[in-house]
Amino acid sequence: MNAPLREVGRRIPQKGAEQRVSGGAVYTQDIALPGMLHAAVLRSPHAHALISGLDVTAARAAPGVVAVITAEDFPGKPYYQLGGSYSDRHPLARGKVRFYGEEIAAIAAETLEAAQAALKLIEVTYEILPALLTPEAALAPDALPLHEAANMLGGRNLAIRFTCDYGPVQQAFADAAKVFEDEFSHGVAVPACMETNGTVASFDPASGDLTLWTATQAPFFIRKEVAHVVGLDVERVHLRGVEVGGGFGGKSKICEQEALAAMLAVKAQRPVKLILDRREEFISGKTDHAKRIRLRTAIADDGRILARATSLQIDNGAYTAYAPTYVGAARQRTTCLYRVETAHYDCDLVYTNKVPGGQYRGMGAPQMIWAIETHMDKIAAHLGMDPLEYRLRQANQSGDVTPLGWKISSCGQSDCLNEVARRIGWAEKRQGPREATPGKLRGVGIAAMIHPSGGVIYQEGNYSNTRIQMLADGRFVVHTQTADTGTWQNTTLAQIAAEALGVPSELVSVSHMDTDAAPPDLGSAASRVAFVSGNATKRAGEALRAMVARELGRHWNCNPDDLAFAEGKVRSTADPSRMADIAEVAALCGELNAEARYSTPGERPDPATGIGNYAATYVFGAQAAEVEVDMATGQVRILKIVAAQDVGRALNPVAIEGQLYGGILQGIGMALQEELIFEEGRPVNASFLDYKVPRIGDAPPIELALIETNDPEGPFGAKAGAEPTINASIAAIANAVAHATGMRFYELPLSPDRILPKLQAGRKLALKPWKRPYNLEVATVRKAYPAAVFPVLRKIGTKFANTPKQGVKPEIAAPRDIDGLLAALASPNKRTKLLGGGTDLFVGLRQGIYDTELLVDTARVDALRGIALQDDMLHIGAGNTLASLTDSDLVRRILPMLAEGVDLIATPQIRRVATVAGDLCQEKRCWFFRSAFPCYKLGGATCPCFAVQGNNRFHSILGAKRCAAPCPADLAPIFTALGAQAVIIGPNGQRKVAMEDFYQWSGLSCLTAGEVLLRFELPLSARSSHAFEKFAVRRSDFAESSVAVRLDWEAGRITGARIALGAVAPLPIRAEATERALLAAGRPDAKQIRAAAELAVQGSLPLRDNAHKTHLLVNLAERAIRTAIEHAP
Amino acid sequence: MKLTLRVNGIEQTAEADPLQPLARVLREQLNLRGTKIGCGNGECGACTVWVEGEAVCSCLYPAFRAEGCAITTIEGLATPERLTALQQAFIDHGATQCGFCTSGMIMAASALLARNPQPTEADVVHGLTGNICRCTGYRQIIDAVLSVGNKQ
Repeated sequence: MNAPLREVGRRIPQKGAEQRVSGGAVYTQDIALPGMLHAAVLRSPHAHALISGLDVTAARAAPGVVAVITAEDFPGKPYYQLGGSYSDRHPLARGKVRFYGEEIAAIAAETLEAAQAALKLIEVTYEILPALLTPEAALAPDALPLHEAANMLGGRNLAIRFTCDYGPVQQAFADAAKVFEDEFSHGVAVPACMETNGTVASFDPASGDLTLWTATQAPFFIRKEVAHVVGLDVERVHLRGVEVGGGFGGKSKICEQEALAAMLAVKAQRPVKLILDRREEFISGKTDHAKRIRLRTAIADDGRILARATSLQIDNGAYTAYAPTYVGAARQRTTCLYRVETAHYDCDLVYTNKVPGGQYRGMGAPQMIWAIETHMDKIAAHLGMDPLEYRLRQANQSGDVTPLGWKISSCGQSDCLNEVARRIGWAEKRQGPREATPGKLRGVGIAAMIHPSGGVIYQEGNYSNTRIQMLADGRFVVHTQTADTGTWQNTTLAQIAAEALGVPSELVSVSHMDTDAAPPDLGSAASRVAFVSGNATKRAGEALRAMVARELGRHWNCNPDDLAFAEGKVRSTADPSRMADIAEVAALCGELNAEARYSTPGERPDPATGIGNYAATYVFGAQAAEVEVDMATGQVRILKIVAAQDVGRALNPVAIEGQLYGGILQGIGMALQEELIFEEGRPVNASFLDYKVPRIGDAPPIELALIETNDPEGPFGAKAGAEPTINASIAAIANAVAHATGMRFYELPLSPDRILPKLQAGRKLALKPWKRPYNLEVATVRKAYPAAVFPVLRKIGTKFANTPKQGVKPEIAAPRDIDGLLAALASPNKRTKLLGGGTDLFVGLRQGIYDTELLVDTARVDALRGIALQDDMLHIGAGNTLASLTDSDLVRRILPMLAEGVDLIATPQIRRVATVAGDLCQEKRCWFFRSAFPCYKLGGATCPCFAVQGNNRFHSILGAKRCAAPCPADLAPIFTALGAQAVIIGPNGQRKVAMEDFYQWSGLSCLTAGEVLLRFELPLSARSSHAFEKFAVRRSDFAESSVAVRLDWEAGRITGARIALGAVAPLPIRAEATERALLAAGRPDAKQIRAAAELAVQGSLPLRDNAHKTHLLVNLAERAIRTAIEHAP
Repeated sequence: MKLTLRVNGIEQTAEADPLQPLARVLREQLNLRGTKIGCGNGECGACTVWVEGEAVCSCLYPAFRAEGCAITTIEGLATPERLTALQQAFIDHGATQCGFCTSGMIMAASALLARNPQPTEADVVHGLTGNICRCTGYRQIIDAVLSVGNKQ
């Protein structure tokens, strides 16, 4: 078929975009059925425990509750997943919980609040078991078995132990001219779809039919699993189409809420809606797997890769979802990327007491390729060869057969490498100066990737069926069981159908996910839709066209073979007078349907070795990154990414470009900032605030090159495209960082806490912890923490914890003036809190860190607002929103540093409502405290500080005693440096407090009961200059460190200095030694500024993970002082 | 409590717990489900609506504070005949993928354009800091907003 393509390749807009931009697209959370109940899930508060008692009697009797389910309510079959020993999980825990967040019971009630309240009435008795939180602990000889013997290998916590040689690999290592060996590791990244997982289930007891609306990529697998665990025939389970808010693998197989909503609907005989909240999504949603990669590469003298040996350890988490396919996917890269002569692969899939891993875009490829491409760079350096040149010599080529048995057909790898190198300016930038701007190191890196297109990786094979319906009005509907999760597949499948039918894409719509309307298809995962479902759609389109031709031939009395379909018209080539618009044809022929099947032609991989040519074709690509590393902060800023991908054929360039942009940005997140942090098996950064998915400011310019190789097997030449867009990103970035810094990092993400200490290794700071005498005691206690202090406090002390009562519903008082405010605050015997913008308070109430009984709203008290100039003082009402400061011309004019500093706080939406007093009085920011660990600050004096041993990257380096939470408010150092005074009003009148004396501890001010902040008074002087420097990974994040400076001048000399440090200590503290040094110098030169800045960290005692903050603080202080001096009046 | 709100120009009443988030009042009682709840903590911006013309996170905005206020949601931007220039620009630039962030993104971007009709790229990036998109890589969104700004 050589006719020019009309519909394939068109840049048409997304199908369904109008609904998306106007709020009309319906997602699972938007479904409301008559009589629908709302469900909530009881989750394990322990990583590992036996359940010795479970009593739901009180919950069943609670108001509004209609159904309560526990493991007993299911027939007792575990999820099928991949079958055999891998079927290791039940929809609700049976006698044992194996990870924090595991589902124990679920409740359906008239309202969500009633369901959540009833959860608290379920009584569970746990016998806590030691939690195995790392693969090493789980594989220790005396480790407790997590599962039944039938689910584990040799009685150990192993789901899989795989090992295989591909060719004479030992000989290759023996013959090698040089062997490279490194170990790489990374933690858990998560898909973090904008729509959380959720399901609406409806059961008809009369017919026995169960209908589901669910946020999934794979109706096929949902149906199979739900039928299996609920005990229904698969034909009785029906999925309906609904918009899906992102997938990325996280919704590619069953997620537990589908089974729970289904069983609740069966029990309640009413529809049930179960939507996970964001925290539940983080603690229980399917994640990527943490891995440790040991890579050995053997090369010959000329650089040929004689052997690549990979030993992989994958953290399975508590249950096996589809990890066996993950084991296989990781194998693909190590045996197939570049020309590898022999290979070895061994892999342990290890059970631990953590959230079960699932699938996430790339299935481990981004990190495997990071390891491989690190070696490619190191080998090139060893050979004295340009890294691009070396890669081109080793690139995969058409006709190659890889050690895994892949037969490479069309191959654009070299083209992709050359293209990205050209576009990034490789030759020039590789040679150019690395420190073009002082203090900023630049570098470029490159990486390639390989990915199967339509691989046979399912037990069912890899097939698709599509039905296309011609309606009587001449429109067409493609019915597919795949799910468009935002990939535009409903647009590209319509284009394929339109092309096959010879009609404009505008006449074709796609109905997805509906298991009654569409024939079976394995769903939207592994980038299979464009290729596999695309081929089925093309065939169905061709079949329908033939059917229409036959039908029309009867009506027109002509040979169907003479009918040509193009541009929405049908013509007879034999009789030019015979021509009709497709609408007329449809009216004549009536509704017609055609269905077609496509099954990928690949072999099945050999189960013992994984060997086989099991994809129809392979996808290649390359990415190049240019980065700039800030030596002062350790932050990697991506200046540009160039990506080239062999897409076979771009079905719709806008669609595949969107996939590339999105995949690359997710790769950037993995490379630089994303990692789920665990403490005692509990994710502590289970929010978008702390789990740092890229925000808009993290998106670099991205340049794309789509390489079209017109694959002979692909639909109109297309290959798989969406998933592998992420594959080369980490590697390209990491290689660019290595080029810029001359250093290699073997752990991800490449965050400042890892990079900065190494960058600053040559700059020893004199911390002089003895400058703060209590540090001796603190250091001694910390030393004793692991062996003695923590275990005792954790085990015994927390029994006496006085943690906030849960479920208290606060009353509200909304006074209109100061008197009313004071009267409300005077309410006796009530735990009272003032309400500013509520942006932290409402979150805190949900986090369980408050048990407030009365909220006193400040929003209507006009006397708390206003910005005014009075007697050389700027008066700022405590109730002003942060936005009112940035909007104020007065503030911008006379104190620009304040306006600019406030502009760095949080997000525009938060600044619109958050107040000055609220910023200053917000609760401490420590992820252990915020996760409601029974810590010293939450539970009282008998409890430990979890930050001493847990991940303490963001904690205090200065002044931490029993609590290491830093002061998070940016206004605290700013106001302190400006010499502000807080005006406080209370039952005994007004008082003024200097900012230095405002705090007692992080989140704890000097306000006593009944008092309220009225305003702040900031002294102004025409002879002062100011600066504020803040560092946070993303704009909008809380500071990791900040420095505010006010300098007073006379005749060009510094006569006054106030320097306040933020986010490094529980209080905003003055850097007095630095101030003195500046005063002494009067007109400090660069060297004196640096020396003064270094004094700011004196007396600090960093924790294990926050040594970078000492450098950060000094470097920010240096910058801020420099800026303030530049702005001298 | 009984709430009276002017939503998209129409006076509406609702019965809500005073601390219930405005997002839920809009979605559950007024059937305006275009406003999405992505995190419930004001961190992702999917729930962005305008209260008295200011873009706020409705998942953190307590119902009692909205009493008597003019609220604009995504459903209130377009007329039945015509999308706004920004909505059309999102379509034309391929700025939607899964669409779950789109309502909030458009509400935030429209508020930005109302204040600053000709924003620079830096203004757009700064103004949309509160809105997370996991699909698009943001590039098409930035281009869509800039294209409207340049036309004005």
